[in-house]
Amino acid sequence: MLLKRFLFFVMIAFLSGTASAQNIEAEANLKAVFIYNFTKYVEWDTNNGDFVIGVIGQSSVTSALNIIARNNTVKNKKIVIKVFNKPEDIEYCNILFIPKNSFSLSSILEKTGKGTLTVSEENGYAKKGTAFNFVIVNNKLKFEANLKALYLADLKAGSQLLKLGIIVD
Amino acid sequence: MLVKLSDISIRNKLVLMQMFTSVLVLSIVFAVFVITDINSYKERKVKSVKSIAQVVGTNSISTLQFQDEDAAKEILSELHNVAPEIINAAILDKNGNLFASYNRPGSDTFIIPSNKNVGSSTFHDHSLLVNNPIVNENEIIGNVFLNVELNELQQIKKSKYEITAVLLIVALGFSFLIGAAVQPYISKRLLRLLKTMNEVTESGDYSKKISDDGKDEISVLIKVYNNLMLQVRKNQQKKDEFIGIASHEFKTPLTSIKGYLDLLDLMENDEGKKQLVGKAQRNVNKLEVLIKDLLDVSKIQSGQLELNMQRFNIDELIKETIAAFQMLSPTHHLILKNTSGEAFVYADKQRIEQVLINLLSNAIKYSPGEKEVIISYEKNDTDMIIKITDFGIGIAEEERLNIFERFYRTKDISVHISGFGLGLYICRDIIKRHNGKIWVETQGKGSSFYFTLPLKTKEPVLQQKV
Repeated sequence: MLLKRFLFFVMIAFLSGTASAQNIEAEANLKAVFIYNFTKYVEWDTNNGDFVIGVIGQSSVTSALNIIARNNTVKNKKIVIKVFNKPEDIEYCNILFIPKNSFSLSSILEKTGKGTLTVSEENGYAKKGTAFNFVIVNNKLKFEANLKALYLADLKAGSQLLKLGIIVD
Repeated sequence: MLVKLSDISIRNKLVLMQMFTSVLVLSIVFAVFVITDINSYKERKVKSVKSIAQVVGTNSISTLQFQDEDAAKEILSELHNVAPEIINAAILDKNGNLFASYNRPGSDTFIIPSNKNVGSSTFHDHSLLVNNPIVNENEIIGNVFLNVELNELQQIKKSKYEITAVLLIVALGFSFLIGAAVQPYISKRLLRLLKTMNEVTESGDYSKKISDDGKDEISVLIKVYNNLMLQVRKNQQKKDEFIGIASHEFKTPLTSIKGYLDLLDLMENDEGKKQLVGKAQRNVNKLEVLIKDLLDVSKIQSGQLELNMQRFNIDELIKETIAAFQMLSPTHHLILKNTSGEAFVYADKQRIEQVLINLLSNAIKYSPGEKEVIISYEKNDTDMIIKITDFGIGIAEEERLNIFERFYRTKDISVHISGFGLGLYICRDIIKRHNGKIWVETQGKGSSFYFTLPLKTKEPVLQQKV
């Protein structure tokens, strides 16, 4: 009897575990697609070379971004995915993705300058200064937009994009 | 065919032709106009709906990219204000799955048609379905379906049909008026020709010419008719001349034959031979009567019949004539009724005697067997009316008008009567020249011939060619 109950819980845990694992992967893919789609609405000042998307630390989004980078370009530029292990390593990139539970935001924002679009996925980060921040609303992926941060980064986002975002500042 | 084309009068045919042609031509023109009009309206409609779809599609690119169904729904719901004629709208993602949809309040939910030809537009009874692709960076990322109500098209169609119908009716009216106004130029002349021909047939006066200064077929027809009449007149003239010459030429030898027969009759004493001479005399007399008739006709034709007017007692004349007849045909009783003994008229005595002889011999001829013939006369204020009644075979209704014509003989083949059929013609002419009338009435058996003579002096009708 006990064994039976135990097995049941194990099974539930296992099933829910796989389910959440699948969800996480789907979410990561969607986020990567969103990041790629942001490039269609945000204008960067001319800069030569490849289009660089940076990621701080480990994230499941990185692999999804790599797949996109292989098959797509941004304004006819090759997409390059760079992973920075700590904030000190950050170099110039067009988009910097800040995964959950990574380094302190302030230390990262210190290293980002003009021309870098910061994208985070932590509740409240947009208010704290990232340009776009992924949130889940009603079980759907949405994003917050900080117009001030965009302005400070010298970036312009199209209205078609902004109308879909939740404007926070 | 319900009505034979040849049964319709030329007048109506002309009007009908006119109307038919104009209606046919106008129908074709109107049909072309209405069709091109409706088609161009449809084209414009498709264009405008497609441009709406284009705008909707462009606006929803980002919603598709960021999978924001709510935003897409919002864009679609904007259509309610922008284009109220849109019943349903839908956005499909690139896999053909429904992404967002919109239904005008109060309308049914939209069923995405299975035919998903991108860029197509389909007209249904009351709606237009447009399927427009959403293109982003040369990539189709979805479709916009718009289902548009076409009440306007129905209204346009209705008003076009109404205008067409009204215009057709107006055109029909005008073409009728024009046809009715134009047709006299053709039909009037034909009808005039017809009328003249009928008149000529009735009166026998072939001298009537129709004038027409046109140059078309009808003018030719009229010219041909005039020529034909000219020929008829010429032939008649020739015939009359022949009758005149022949009767004259017959008369001279006949007179001498008659004279020799009279001499022979006087000289002959042998009864047998006398009988033969008598027979010859009677036949010569008959021949003389016929030739005299022919001569009279010839005189009438050439206008040489002259009247020797005098005042005389017609009572006496009738009695004399009856007496003469009674000797010749003892089989019939000729009875003079209502005699007053004195009945003076002003006329040509010889010619009236001729009339009486003609009428009486007819009465006897046409009442074979022992019958009575009653003669009576009475006068009114102006005329003396003489009536001769027999109880013979009578005259058929349809023949009553013809019997006074030249060379007319009864169609009744059961009665075989010799003669040229000139007697009544001559009688009519004589009475006419006396300003009198002659007619016949038939009641039951037999017939009554009437003729009138004026009581007072009247100038006889001038000699004229008939």
